[in-house]
Amino acid sequence: MSAAKTGDASRLDQFLAFSAEVTAFGVVELQGTGQAEAYLQTVDDVVGAALVDELLVLHAKAPRATGNEGRAARGAHLRRTIFGDGKLGPVARNIVKLWYSGVWYELPGAWTETYGPAPQDVTFVVSPSSYVEGLLWTAIGAHPAGAKAPGYGSWAAPPRIPRFADDPVSPPSAEPVDGTVDAERVPA
Amino acid sequence: MPSSKITTLSELKDYLYLAMQLEHATLPAYLTALYSIKPGTNTDAVHILRVVAVEEMLHLSIAANLLNAIGGTPDLAHPGFVPSYPTYLPDGETDFKVGITRFGKEAVETFKKIERPSKGDGRLVRRSYAPGTSVLGRHPKSDEMHFYSIGDFYKAIEDGFELLEAEAQGLGKTIFIGDPKRQVTSEYYYSGGGALFAVTDLESAKRAITLVMTQGEGTPTSIYDNDGELSHFYRFDQLTHGRYYQKGDEPHHPTGPALSVDWEASYPIEANVKLADFPAGTELYDAAQSFNQAYAKFLKAITRAFNGKPELLLTAVPLMFDFRNLITELVRNPLPGSAGRNAAPTFEIDAVTAAESLAAARQEVVA
Repeated sequence: MSAAKTGDASRLDQFLAFSAEVTAFGVVELQGTGQAEAYLQTVDDVVGAALVDELLVLHAKAPRATGNEGRAARGAHLRRTIFGDGKLGPVARNIVKLWYSGVWYELPGAWTETYGPAPQDVTFVVSPSSYVEGLLWTAIGAHPAGAKAPGYGSWAAPPRIPRFADDPVSPPSAEPVDGTVDAERVPA
Repeated sequence: MPSSKITTLSELKDYLYLAMQLEHATLPAYLTALYSIKPGTNTDAVHILRVVAVEEMLHLSIAANLLNAIGGTPDLAHPGFVPSYPTYLPDGETDFKVGITRFGKEAVETFKKIERPSKGDGRLVRRSYAPGTSVLGRHPKSDEMHFYSIGDFYKAIEDGFELLEAEAQGLGKTIFIGDPKRQVTSEYYYSGGGALFAVTDLESAKRAITLVMTQGEGTPTSIYDNDGELSHFYRFDQLTHGRYYQKGDEPHHPTGPALSVDWEASYPIEANVKLADFPAGTELYDAAQSFNQAYAKFLKAITRAFNGKPELLLTAVPLMFDFRNLITELVRNPLPGSAGRNAAPTFEIDAVTAAESLAAARQEVVA
């Protein structure tokens, strides 16, 4: 596979597929941040497109997950080939952090010593909108300070935490704290 | 043949329902254009669109106050309240289509047409549309008869108020029999321009109609309205000229500070997209559906607010921010099979309401 430009749609799709799996957000939600191209460009710029391609190809080749066993096997495979890999692991973790916070975090010194140099590898916020669009705000049912105002009086309502793919059907949810006790949730 | 003259209270109520529909119908177009603008760009256009959208919500509330003043029942969840886009608006000899599109030159030209209702004397004209076409500003009793312009439509309403109140007064009565507690006033509504006041008599009713008219088009002698606010038509006209108006300016010749517009800096959304254009069973389809559900919920909330619970208008505010986030998510997603265009909100609200009533009915049967 060639080190295609960021403008290559299928490469962006692969980046989104990988990102969706490792962030537990959907591709539509990721695209909905408007940051996909900028993040792929960021990773390309810092560690080089060839390394990103290597990661994306490995992800695309991972065994398909069917049923509980399949999911476990796929998870183990990704941990072994990507997250457990000395070169790809730190980059993969950085992609997760990038989506959640909009920040590229400087890679561990050991990584740069072995696989560097990476002159652009410093901690930086990708753009003002990447801060606003960080997934962490949605994940905790909040909004970024100073942006995406949720409206006057909205603070009276409990935060709404989205359900993620592997959540149990009835998660211990953020019900309004109104003094009532839900019998089912009281430990016996 | 139906006349434009309003002679009964029930007719006046029908007209005011259509006025609410008309005032609301601009919002999906303005909000979609607003949220299609790419973050960090077009700050002047964002500001202008936002101010106009907020004032359209004010007009909607004013129309609800007018309807409540004469004992009517505002219902924004009524089937057909949200038109199917593109929808037609009358504008003098010609009419034009208002659609759900991206921000750009074409959209701004349409917005200027919306806000340029010529002064009218209440004239009706016959216009034929294909069956199933969504048309605003029509005669409540006839699908074929339409007002010459929005100005004519409001003139008919104003004349109706005068005639019916004069008749009622002659009998020692009044048409303003609505419960004053149903009036929505400024304490429940924050707006940059124009206060929201209670409609309780002919004087306040006429003042309300004048406010709606002049905020759109200005007064006959000025590009500013009676509160000294630049009217909507000229707010949009600033984008065309790349320059702000200032006091003393003549129409079409703004001399204020320059403003910059990047006409291309909006997401390339597919115009007037429908849910049927989304691949079924996908995450994107669900996102479009979620938006329609959120918007239906918002319309229900303000319907309750306009029916004796004005304090609920405040609880509708966070709902608006919810659907804002859903719109921004949609417009950034490519729409499969649309040759590089993006998704957009479909505003198919009737389908949501119908599905919810069906579900509620089933629930009752089970119970």
